[in-house]
Amino acid sequence: MLRPEQVEQAVKTGGSTRRPEAWITPRFKPGDIVRARNRNPVGHTRLARYARGKRGVIHQDHGVFVFPDTNAHGLGDKPQHVYSVRFEAQDLWGDPAPGPDAVYIDLWDDYLEPA
Amino acid sequence: MNGIHDLGGMHGFGPIVCEKDEPVFHAEWERRTFGLLTATLALRRYNIDEFRHAIERMDPTGYLESSYYEHWLHAIETLLIEKGVITKQELTTRTAELAKGAS
Repeated sequence: MLRPEQVEQAVKTGGSTRRPEAWITPRFKPGDIVRARNRNPVGHTRLARYARGKRGVIHQDHGVFVFPDTNAHGLGDKPQHVYSVRFEAQDLWGDPAPGPDAVYIDLWDDYLEPA
Repeated sequence: MNGIHDLGGMHGFGPIVCEKDEPVFHAEWERRTFGLLTATLALRRYNIDEFRHAIERMDPTGYLESSYYEHWLHAIETLLIEKGVITKQELTTRTAELAKGAS
């Protein structure tokens, strides 16, 4: 239950799904080259369609968070690392993309595979 | 989910027009809807990911024709009914009462 003194913070920032107590060894580190898995789940996912199957570089490890794909369906928290991954615009959209642009996307460990 | 609500968006909807001095809410019901989500999440009958999935499950045509906070309201109604907090009949009855000007 939300207590009156918690309301202001809840409205300002929302509730975090970070799990700092979950000590899970990260599978990737900054600089690692990864590929976003090509998955098209029937249920919920936070993996944008345009990034699927694309190659990127781990930029930063945000720590451990609840996994939305299972949490949306009563299948548990499945806490795991979330990384900021850098994708080159050229890799995402091909030739029409402006040259030096890049997109940083926050991606859960399960969305990634080594490349 | 490969629904209309892919968080990456899609091309073809024209430029994003930024409103000058845009207010946080454009109508009182939007403010109420914002509070309703915070309050119902605090009940822990559903979580933020179920909420987002409820938006993804919207009828694609309805999704495109409705506004940001209408998506929120739709998802809140869907989940409160699915989780048994209210019934569809209660929602329909109350909506009809409010439409007639009851408070």
